[in-house]
Amino acid sequence: MTTPLLSVEGLVKHYHSGGFLSRSTPPVKAVDGVSFSIAPGETLGLVGESGSGKSTVGRAVLRLEPPTAGVVRFEGHDLASLDPATMRATRRRMQIVFQDPLGALNPRRTIGDSVAEGLVIHRLATKAELPDRVAQLLAEVGLDASYASRYPHEFSGGQRQRVGIARALAVEPRFVVCDEPVSALDVSVQAQVLNLLLDLRDRRQLAYLFIAHDLAVVQQVAHRIAVMYLGTIVEVGPARSVISTPRHPYTQALVSAVPDPDPTSGRSRIVLEGEPPSPAAPPPGCPFAPRCFHPQRDGRCNSERPQLRTIGDREVACHYADS
Amino acid sequence: MTTLLEVDHLQIAFPRRDGAAIVPVDDVSFHVAEGELVALVGESGCGKTLTGLAIPRLLPANATLGKRTRIRFAGSDLAGASEPELRAVRGRRIAMVFQDPMSSLNPVMRIGAQISEAITAHAKIGASQARARAVALLTEVGIADPATRVDAYPHQLSGGMRQRVMLAIALAGEPDLLIADEPTTALDVTVQAQMLELLDALRRARGMAVLLITHDLGIVAGRADRVLVMYAGRVVESAPTAALFAAPAHPYTRGLFASIPRLEATAARLTPIPGTVPPPDQWPSGCRFHPRCPLAIAKCSTAQPPLEALTPGHDVACWVATGAVE
Amino acid sequence: MTTSTRAGFALLSILALIAVLGPLLAGSPYAQGNLLTEALHAPSAAHWLGTDQFARDVLARFAWGARNSLGIAAIAVMVATAIGSLLGLLAGSTEGVVSGMLRRLIDVGLALPRVIVLLVLIAATGRLSTPVLAVVIGLTGWPGMARLVRGETLRLRHAPYVLAARALGARPARVLLRDIFPGTLAPMLVAATLGVADAILLEAGLSFLGLGLPLPEPSWGGMLLDAREYLGRAPWLLFFPAAGLVLATSTATLLGETLRRSLQPDSR
Repeated sequence: MTTPLLSVEGLVKHYHSGGFLSRSTPPVKAVDGVSFSIAPGETLGLVGESGSGKSTVGRAVLRLEPPTAGVVRFEGHDLASLDPATMRATRRRMQIVFQDPLGALNPRRTIGDSVAEGLVIHRLATKAELPDRVAQLLAEVGLDASYASRYPHEFSGGQRQRVGIARALAVEPRFVVCDEPVSALDVSVQAQVLNLLLDLRDRRQLAYLFIAHDLAVVQQVAHRIAVMYLGTIVEVGPARSVISTPRHPYTQALVSAVPDPDPTSGRSRIVLEGEPPSPAAPPPGCPFAPRCFHPQRDGRCNSERPQLRTIGDREVACHYADS
Repeated sequence: MTTLLEVDHLQIAFPRRDGAAIVPVDDVSFHVAEGELVALVGESGCGKTLTGLAIPRLLPANATLGKRTRIRFAGSDLAGASEPELRAVRGRRIAMVFQDPMSSLNPVMRIGAQISEAITAHAKIGASQARARAVALLTEVGIADPATRVDAYPHQLSGGMRQRVMLAIALAGEPDLLIADEPTTALDVTVQAQMLELLDALRRARGMAVLLITHDLGIVAGRADRVLVMYAGRVVESAPTAALFAAPAHPYTRGLFASIPRLEATAARLTPIPGTVPPPDQWPSGCRFHPRCPLAIAKCSTAQPPLEALTPGHDVACWVATGAVE
Repeated sequence: MTTSTRAGFALLSILALIAVLGPLLAGSPYAQGNLLTEALHAPSAAHWLGTDQFARDVLARFAWGARNSLGIAAIAVMVATAIGSLLGLLAGSTEGVVSGMLRRLIDVGLALPRVIVLLVLIAATGRLSTPVLAVVIGLTGWPGMARLVRGETLRLRHAPYVLAARALGARPARVLLRDIFPGTLAPMLVAATLGVADAILLEAGLSFLGLGLPLPEPSWGGMLLDAREYLGRAPWLLFFPAAGLVLATSTATLLGETLRRSLQPDSR
C-alpha cells in the first residue's frame, strides 16, 4: 500500500479560556481524538455542523494551530519534529483555501501581489518572471491577467475565491485543505468554483481535505466522507455509500436534513430533537447519545464512548450500528 | 381561497449620488392567499429581501415606491397608508422574521420581556397575563422548559433557540401573514430541518399565510404551495411547487436546478450558469438574464419579456419559453 | 466632503499659517515696550491683539505660542505613538510569558493617571526645556496607543489572510510587517490625531500651572496664567490664547473624526 500523503492519528485540540487564574473553567474540546489518512490525489470530505470541530481539524493539520495532542504526518514526516526551516519548505506542498473570500485576501494589496506571495516567499521566480507567472495562474483559475493590478474589493465573491485558489496553487502544492470554499458564495457561482476545484484536481493531481457542512456539495467532490460530531469522527467511508446507506444515526439524520430539490424523491425525513451541543461540555459516553433515536440506544451509550469499528466498507463509531 | 395579500407592480427606487436612481426591484407582482406558503426564491442581489420589507413598508427612508405600486392587504392598500395605519398592521397582522436572530433580539433584555413587549403592543392586557402568554408562545415554538427559559437572555440561547424566540415574538400579535426572510440560512442543517417543520406546523395550526424568502430551492420543495423565482429585480417564473420542480420553464430556473449539488445526483460535473449576477446599476437591456442565457434570441436583448401564463397557474417571463407555446 | 470635514481642514490651514508664518511676520514675543505707556493696550492698529502687562505684543506671543504649543503636541504624539505601537505590536503578536508581561505593563500604564504622572515627573526634575517637555508628555501617552495597537494586532492575527500568509510559509516577522502592521495604521492614525488634542491641552494645563514652559517662553497656557490677574482690565489677554486652544483642539478632533469616518467606515 502506498504511503498516505497525509496521516492523522489521535488529533486533539483543546482550547483553554482565560489566563493564569481561570484553570477552573473546563477547556473547550474542539477536536477530541480524530484519526484519518488521505492518499495522493484523493479527496476526503469532512462534514459536520457547528461545534463539530471540522475547521479546527483543517487548521491543525496544516499546523496553523498547534495540536494539543496527536500526530500529523505529511509525506511520512511527523510535522511536529520538523525544524522551522524545513517546516516552511514543507508548507509549499500543503495549502489552504478559505471560506471567506473577502477576509482571505489582504485588502491593501493587489490581487497580483497576493497571488505572487508564495512565489516570493519561496523564491520560486525572479522579480522579472513574476508578472508572467501570476498571469498564468490567474488564467488557470479563469481570471483575466489584467486583474492583477486591481484590489480585492473590486471583485465579486466568486472571483475572489478564484484568486485565493490561484494563490494556493502558486507554490505547487500536493495537498490542499478546502475550508468551506463555496459556503459563502451565491448558488449559481458555487457550481463554477466547484467545477474549477475538480478540474484543478485532475490536472494537478491534488489531494483535498474538503471541509463543508453541506453534504450535497461534498458528495460532488469527495471520494470518501468522514462525518464529524462534537470533535470526533462518527462515520467514515466511500462517499456514495455513506450517503446512500448511512449507518450512524447522526449521518442518517444529516442525510435526511439536506434540503432536497426534488419533492418526489421520497427521502425519509428524520427530525432531530435538541440542538448540536457545545464542545465545552461534551456528554460522557457517546457524544450523540442525548439526541440519538436509534431503537437500541441504552445506558451503555451514555457511559461508554464507542470507537470506530469496521462495518462493511466503512468505519462507524456506534455500539449498535450493525443492527 | 381568499386572497390575503396582493402586490401589484412593486417598484422600489433609491436615489444615487449623481442624481440617477437605482431600481433594485422593478415591477414585481404576486399574491398570497390565506393560509398559503409562498416561497420567494432568488440569489443575493435579486431584490427579494427588499420585496419582503416593502410589504409592511419597512424600507429605508430614502426608498421610493413606484407610482403604479399597490400593496393590497386584506382590502386596504398599504402603499399609500399612513404611519399610524401601518403601525396597526405591523406586528399585529403582518409579522416578520429575519435571518440573524442575534441582531434582531435586544441583547440586554430577557426574552420573556421581549415577547411580552410584542404582545402588549397590540393587546391591552396586564403584565402577568402577557407573561403567561409569552410562556405559552415559547411552548408553541418548541422551546423546552419554557417557564424557566422565559427569563433567559439571548446570549444564553443557541442559534436555533434564538430563531424560535424570534418566531414567538412574530406570532405574539396573531398575524395573518408571516414574512420570513432567510429564516434558516444561519442555522445548521439539522436545526434548519427542525425550524422548517415548526414553521409548517404553526402555519397549519393557525391558518397563517407565510411568505418565505430564501436562496435555497431545496428547502422549498415539499413545503411551499407556490414558488416565485426572482432575478435582477423581477419575477421570472411563478408556479405551484410541484409544477416548478417537474418542469421549470425559465432558463434561469433551469440553470439553477442544473447547478445545485444534489445528494442523489450522479453527474460528475455540475452545469453552472455562466457569468455572474449583474448589480442593479449594470442591468442588461431587454431581458436581464439574456447575457447568461443559453437560449437567448435576438429579441431578448432588446425587449423585456412580460410575465405571462404558460399554463394556468404557471407564469414565466421569457420570450423563448412562451414563444414555444404559441 | 461633509461640513465638519471642510471645517476641520479650514481650521487646520489657519493654524498652519499662524504657527508657521506667524513667528516670521509678527516680531519678537519677548521685546518689552514702554511699560508706562504701552502696557495693557487693547487691540489697535499698532498691536492687532493688544499688549500684555509687560507691553509685549500679544500677536507675536500668540503666534510663537502657537508654534510652541502645536510643536510640543506634535512631538509628544510622535513619541507616544512610536513607543505605544511598538509595545502594542509586540504584546499582541507574542505568546506566553513575554506577552503576559507586556500586557500587564500596558495595564499598569493605563491605570496611572497621566496628569499626575506628568506633575510628579516635572516636580522631580525641575523646569524642562521645550523639546524635553515634549518628549516627557509623549512618554506618558504611550499606554493608550499600546492598548489600541495590541487589540488590533490580536484581531488581525486571526484574519484569514494572515493565516493564509502563514500557510504559504511566511516567516512571523514578514507576516507582522506586511500583513498585520499595515492593518493597525488606520486606527493608529485616528488615535494619534485625536491624541494631539489631548497633548495640546496637557501642555496648556501644565503651563497654566506654571510647570510647563519657563515663563518668558510664549505658550497659550502660560498666557492664560498671565491673563488671570488682568481679567477685568484686559480681557483680550484671556480671549486670544483661549480661542487658540479651542481652535487647535477642535481642529484635531474634527480631523480625527474625519479620518475615522473615511478609514474605518464600520466603526462608530
